[in-house]
Amino acid sequence: MTTVFLCEDSLDGILTGVYEAWGSRLGHENVRLKTDEADTMELFCQYQTVRTDMEKAEKVLRTVRRRMGEKAQEAVCYAAACPDERKADAIYRLIVLGMSMEDGRQAVNCLQNPSVLLVEKLRYKAWHEAERMLGFLRFQELSGGVLYAYMEPPYAVLPLIAPHFADRLLQENWIIHDGRRKQIAVHKRGSGWFLADAGLLNPVRIEERSESEAEFQALWKVFCRSIAIEERRNPTCQKNLLPLRFRPCMTEFQV
Amino acid sequence: MQYTKIPEQLPVMEKLKILSDAAKYDVACTSSGTSRGNNGKGIGSCFEAGICHSFAADGRCISLLKILFTNECIFNCRYCLNRSSNDVPRATFTPDEICELVMGFYRRNYIEGLFLSSGILKSPDYTMELLYQTLYRLRTKYHFGGYIHVKAIPGADPVLIEKTGFLADRMSVNLELPTAEGLRKLAPAKTRDKILRPMRQVQNRMEENRQEIALYRSAPRFVPAGQSTQMIIGATPENDFQILSVAESLYQKFDLKRVFYSAFVRVNDDSALPALPGGPPLLREHRLYQADWLLRFYGFEAGELLSEDRPNFNMVFDPKCDWALRHLEFFPVEVNRASYQTLLRVPGIGVKSAQRIVKARRLGSLDFADLKKIGVVLKRALYFITCRGRTMYPVKIEEDYITRNLLYVKENLPPELRGEMTYRQLSLFDDGMPLSAEEQSILTVGESGPAAGFSRERRIL
Ligand code: SF4
Repeated sequence: MTTVFLCEDSLDGILTGVYEAWGSRLGHENVRLKTDEADTMELFCQYQTVRTDMEKAEKVLRTVRRRMGEKAQEAVCYAAACPDERKADAIYRLIVLGMSMEDGRQAVNCLQNPSVLLVEKLRYKAWHEAERMLGFLRFQELSGGVLYAYMEPPYAVLPLIAPHFADRLLQENWIIHDGRRKQIAVHKRGSGWFLADAGLLNPVRIEERSESEAEFQALWKVFCRSIAIEERRNPTCQKNLLPLRFRPCMTEFQV
Repeated sequence: MQYTKIPEQLPVMEKLKILSDAAKYDVACTSSGTSRGNNGKGIGSCFEAGICHSFAADGRCISLLKILFTNECIFNCRYCLNRSSNDVPRATFTPDEICELVMGFYRRNYIEGLFLSSGILKSPDYTMELLYQTLYRLRTKYHFGGYIHVKAIPGADPVLIEKTGFLADRMSVNLELPTAEGLRKLAPAKTRDKILRPMRQVQNRMEENRQEIALYRSAPRFVPAGQSTQMIIGATPENDFQILSVAESLYQKFDLKRVFYSAFVRVNDDSALPALPGGPPLLREHRLYQADWLLRFYGFEAGELLSEDRPNFNMVFDPKCDWALRHLEFFPVEVNRASYQTLLRVPGIGVKSAQRIVKARRLGSLDFADLKKIGVVLKRALYFITCRGRTMYPVKIEEDYITRNLLYVKENLPPELRGEMTYRQLSLFDDGMPLSAEEQSILTVGESGPAAGFSRERRIL
């Protein structure tokens, strides 16, 4: 009988799932990993709910890095950010494969293996999505000077994009808020960043804008309008490159 | 002088409106070519492949705050909105106003940096000095570490240009028109020689700088993202062959990173300018970009793609396909044996798929199913290749036959040229991989930047 390990839909959740499934000694062919809720319970399956454990997750990620290399670690992290129900199991299979190989670094190259191929595809998708967010994210200045960005991304890109802003906006205090996952990344001037629960945010404070905020927003809107060449107007092209779903959180598209 | 005087104190909002509107015809709005982390003191970093922050209503990528320092100008180039004889509202920023705008926009993640060009205020030296002052302040007082693209003003003191180049990531001098003849007609204040001189200077200084850096790794960087230029297409009667040959020699002799092509937009009602009832020549501009890629990444020469007898691009087929149809003696090529350079010449095989083929065939010979997985566009390539000695279907290697069949395989034009057509990507890049936003915007705007990707950002947690 197959045992399904139900994990939380997050990188740590999935990695803990890998830890538990592996440790169960049920045999790789008898276990499966899933992130979605158990609304599609199958008959003849046993379900086991995984409690996310940061330490276990960390252990697995370290092992992946050591035995399978940086590329595999990255693939796992990015794939885990995708909204795809097959991802947890594919990540598990990739790791099982890597551990069984003499040179685990080769695992990510075995694209004839469907799980490896899937992880690679998901990695690419999440990477592409994260790359777009690097450009499309918008900060607003709160009174007190903290920069605050709000997004609702379908992919869990927050931990993927935070390092970029930690470097770029090193001397700023900033918060990036993932409204969909109720998670925030917090950065303190001159130091690192960390993930936290969005419940920590003071809902009143994040509504207080600095004095110059409205003016900069207005300037930016003016610029975006005047930079387009009327004779080359092409909303279809604009929509392909900047899909509508991004726009609600982008200053220049807000009225 | 006839131009309207600047009102003393325009609000920044008005200035921004005027000076971004006046800068919009410059196409080179990209932020690629430099990779640099935060220096620890200020704000900013650079991302090798460039980042698009938004897309304007014309579908072009917005990456930099693209503005003129001033739209005052002592010259009267016929094609230019800012020419001295036009009665348009004039404005001039102060260096600090620009710095404040850049910082405010950058902190909010609106932009990657600044693109600063200018009309000629008083004299080339005077103008260049103002550009220098702006960059100097931005880098030293505001500690801005993001991307800066600045124009070198032809005729300005070389010392000023050099100082400015040490503060910028990219510098460009616009060629404006492809030939000296065109310049004489439409921009009499500019000569070929005057334009090429600063270009040469920047090239030589970059070369010296490379040696300095080899000696001392911490030597200051001069124009690290390289030099670019742009030409206006369709304002003067040059043919595509002339234009592409100019581009080729710029790449070869001036070591330019990019040449941009800008479809002429008729902003002035002037008898010296052609009327363009069909609007700006966008398809022509697009063909030039495709041919430009063939020069830079595919080992083609201008003289292979066009000639005195066939001086213009085929509007139906892309330049590579057009070349292949005229060189059928070259085909079919055997995919399992052909050299990398040969593979690159096959329609439907791009740089990525050619590289993958070369790698994959070491492990065993390839068949058509493998090619498909690799990302070769078989519906285009099938007329030009064999696998293990066999073509995919029984086909005739014959111009008429292939032409007829390829006409059904419609080209993937970029969105802005598509009209009713609905294809996704441009055939030249059509080797199966989705394009990055910057790559996609090349198709409409111009810049490349091999999708170097996340190199630095890839470290996680
Ligand atoms: S010098 Fe530049 S700004 Fe002045 S008229 Fe000529 S093209 Fe326009």
